[in-house]
Amino acid sequence: MKRRLFPTILVTAALMTAVAPAATGKDLTDIGFVDQSAIAALPAFVSVSRQMAAYKAQMDAKYAAAMRATHSPADRQRVTQQFNTQLNNEQRQLAGPAFLRVQLAIASVASTRGLSVVVDKRIIIYGGQDITQQVTRLLQSSQTILPIGTAPPPSEIGFVDQTALEDSPQVKAASAQMSQYAEQQRTFFAQQLKSAGNNQQKQQQIAAAYNAAMDAEQNRILKPVVDHTQAVTAQIAQRRGLVLIIDHADILYGGTDITTDVQNALSK
Amino acid sequence: MLAFCALGASLSGCGSFGASSPSARALAYVRLDDVIKHDPLFPQLSKMDDAIAMVSLVGVSSRVPRNAADVAQQSAQLRVQIAAARSRTQRIIDSKRREYAMRERAAVSAALAAAGVKSTDIAAALGNVSAAQVRAAQQQAGKDFSAYQQSVVAQSNSAARSIVRQLQAQATQKLQAKELQEEQRETNLSLKLSQQDAAQRLAIQTRLSMLALDAETRKRLQGQLDAMTSREQAALAAQRASDQKEYSAYRTQVALETNAAIRVQLAKINGDTRAKLVSRQNTVGAQLRSSLRGPQTLANVSPATRAQIAKIAQQIQQQYQSDVQSVIADYMVTSDALEAQYATLHGADAEAAAATQQETAILQQRRQALYQQIVQHVEDDARRLAQTKGFRVVFADVTAAPGGYDMTNDLITDIESEHE
Repeated sequence: MKRRLFPTILVTAALMTAVAPAATGKDLTDIGFVDQSAIAALPAFVSVSRQMAAYKAQMDAKYAAAMRATHSPADRQRVTQQFNTQLNNEQRQLAGPAFLRVQLAIASVASTRGLSVVVDKRIIIYGGQDITQQVTRLLQSSQTILPIGTAPPPSEIGFVDQTALEDSPQVKAASAQMSQYAEQQRTFFAQQLKSAGNNQQKQQQIAAAYNAAMDAEQNRILKPVVDHTQAVTAQIAQRRGLVLIIDHADILYGGTDITTDVQNALSK
Repeated sequence: MLAFCALGASLSGCGSFGASSPSARALAYVRLDDVIKHDPLFPQLSKMDDAIAMVSLVGVSSRVPRNAADVAQQSAQLRVQIAAARSRTQRIIDSKRREYAMRERAAVSAALAAAGVKSTDIAAALGNVSAAQVRAAQQQAGKDFSAYQQSVVAQSNSAARSIVRQLQAQATQKLQAKELQEEQRETNLSLKLSQQDAAQRLAIQTRLSMLALDAETRKRLQGQLDAMTSREQAALAAQRASDQKEYSAYRTQVALETNAAIRVQLAKINGDTRAKLVSRQNTVGAQLRSSLRGPQTLANVSPATRAQIAKIAQQIQQQYQSDVQSVIADYMVTSDALEAQYATLHGADAEAAAATQQETAILQQRRQALYQQIVQHVEDDARRLAQTKGFRVVFADVTAAPGGYDMTNDLITDIESEHE
């Protein structure tokens, strides 16, 4: 739940343009949604966001210097991972208390409205109950928000942590293969582009060919892995009586976590 | 990893009613990535992707003509040339100072001799300064001036670079704003055109889908459709051409204004630097000549001779100043040229990288705006369809779907029929 809010705060403006799905009496369901960009616009989060931006700017310079000293893709990956960890730690430290309050507020409103699951507004096209206003009002009030005593009711919506699945050996191997291919293609097509001189039409053709080559390779290397992961996820979801599986980052309350089951199945 | 996520976001295969629970019948989902490929604005999105790829590939190759080692090597060579120019100037100034001091000494000595002053008194008046003393004093003065010169030039270069960066950033901001404004204008027109004849298109398409239509009517209707498409394309092309022309003129104007502003600022900075160096050199020269002239005990010399000596000193001082000023001016020209080469050498790299970044950022922003527009359009259609079909909730981009209804194909058909 937290992870969704972190990037949201950083890209509030981009999410502001999202359109609210219609919610009429007929559509009332036990599925709720929250517009996280509205929450990110609250003063407490704006302040956290500013502090994070300042920290990130400071880290960006260090990151750029560290990247300049790298000599291989593995080096770059290691440095990137190291800086991401530092960034995440700082985010947790700065925003932790505010996020906990958001979690409690969403759970409180969801419990009152009898919702079994609350998701990010971004993934709801139609229907569902918009509880953004109630959550915002509760957050802006000075009252202490206590944890709800009961667990969310069972839902037909499940979720899986895609980032955890990305740690599987198959995905890692496929991603590494793709990165290597991408690097080779960049060098090759950059050379082609150079030899095209100022011929605009030829340049456009080369760029299109580069994108086509990348797409084809993605389909060849990554798609089988993705398809397999989805098939395994669907099988497990069916066994658990779930109808739809969404990404963990989009779940704000409730839902059934099947990440471990999927990980175990993939590792067999 | 990102590629994996992107692929993972779109489900392959077609879902259907899972019917694992009654509520499942009311849940649907849409594979947005698949639907947007059928939106009429999608070709624009692909073009933008190609443009982004091109900018990034250009960044890898042709816009960065030198590698880091070449830049380092050429930088070192230029630094050596800049240092050589500075020390050459210093040697010329030292030599001038010596020459003018000697000339003054000789002129004063001749004036005193002409006035009947004894040679011993002349020596006393001019001071018994040894050649070694002269050399040492000149060396120290030269060293001090050189340090001052280095620091003033460094300050001047730093100020110049800062002003150039600032003015270039302002120019980039202006161009970005203009590009976004034009992009928005084109997108709005595209949307307006596709909306304004949607109903008419649909009516014609409906008639065309009727089997019992004679060939002539079919041809006429098809002609009407083609004419509408041509009109839209022509209007868009005209807008785009006009925007490109406007942008091109604006870019030229901004570049001219920026370059003019840079030239004015750099001329001012260089003028200030030159004035500081000349002033410092005059002070050092005067002090040095004064210290080498000795105690000047000219008590027995007539006022006329004293006046003549003062005149000689003043004339020599003026000649020296004029000579040094021209030496420093020569140095400044050489130094400016070399520093400009140095800045260009480094700027070429930085500018290319910055230009690549800027262009990519602009294109990414434009792509994001277009993508949002397509998604909004697709979602509007999906909401209408969901209402018609009586779904309870419709999700976008689910990870897996053992149940629920996959609305993707219905939506694609709907969108295609709207824009055929």
